[in-house]
Amino acid sequence: MNGKLLALGAFVVSGILGYVGAQQAIPRVIMATAVKRMAERGGINTMAHGAIATPENQPIVRPSPDLAYSSCPFDVSKGPVRVNAVPVAGRYSSLSIFDGMTDVAFVRNDIQAKGQPYAIVIARDGQVTPPGAEVVRVAHDRGIALIRLLLANPAEIGQLEAVRRQSGCEPLQPSP
Amino acid sequence: MAGKLLMALAITGGLAAGAAGAWMMAGKGMGRADIVNGPWTTSLTFGTEATDAATRASVARRGLLALPSTETIYWQASVDSDGKPLDGNCTYAMTGAALDARWWSITLYDKAGYLFANPARIWSFSGASITPAEQTGWQVSVSPDKPTAGHWLPSVKGKPFDLTLRMYNPGQSLRAAPAKSVLPVLKRERCA
Repeated sequence: MNGKLLALGAFVVSGILGYVGAQQAIPRVIMATAVKRMAERGGINTMAHGAIATPENQPIVRPSPDLAYSSCPFDVSKGPVRVNAVPVAGRYSSLSIFDGMTDVAFVRNDIQAKGQPYAIVIARDGQVTPPGAEVVRVAHDRGIALIRLLLANPAEIGQLEAVRRQSGCEPLQPSP
Repeated sequence: MAGKLLMALAITGGLAAGAAGAWMMAGKGMGRADIVNGPWTTSLTFGTEATDAATRASVARRGLLALPSTETIYWQASVDSDGKPLDGNCTYAMTGAALDARWWSITLYDKAGYLFANPARIWSFSGASITPAEQTGWQVSVSPDKPTAGHWLPSVKGKPFDLTLRMYNPGQSLRAAPAKSVLPVLKRERCA
């Protein structure tokens, strides 16, 4: 009887630990999976300019069909990564940088950028960055830099393709 | 020996049950969406370090890469303005006026958070969809059947759905008092 009670207690305590542990792990695991999937399609530390979200193209949950997404899955384990963002005149766009836990480390929209191109360097604490660079320090090696660009209608994507492709990302130090 | 086996099973089973429970809860909604405005719910901590573990896990499952509320406020609705679940067999009149944001849109998703296939290939209704005259009042029919006139946001017969209202660059008054902001009303008109 004592053994059964003990087992029941162990089940309950393990259940609580499993719940709390999984809750902490879910964002990290989902983000790591998203980075991996994006990297498989376009490469790591490379900006991929995705097609408009449709039922046939939904790389992430709850995509907006009104936005064009450009994504750079980054890995700063071997050095900082630079992201170049080029706003499109007269319409909403933003660059956001998500860390490995899904938290936003940086966000800037076209108005805050005064409509001008800008560059951000993503780095871990202690990594050397170019003098004068605007640096975003992240707590994890991997994450996603995402550019959102508002479309008045999906057909606009063709005429905006050349402009959106001016945004990009690249490692500052080549991998050995 | 039997006692040790029982204990091992209890621990393994407990961990698995706990993890499964966390996964299930994270998939149910957007975590602690503590702000309620009619059928719409949100939180101002999405995407930030300030968010709690449950909300972060839910956002990862249900709204990965969500922006912080300083940039965008994401409202979710899974019920109409009378509190009844949104149902693809029903027609809803969604009414509103220009919303307190630089740009806004309302997107219809299945219960897993993905776009439905629909022949019209319409998945959202946005500020760009309304005319200058509609700034003070607009109406869209949320229905599986195309209305004879007016705006249409297609749902799918027999399928329950959710709506996400995105408000990009929200206005100051919206951010200060989101629960009091004027948001669209979702009135069920009829069901098949």
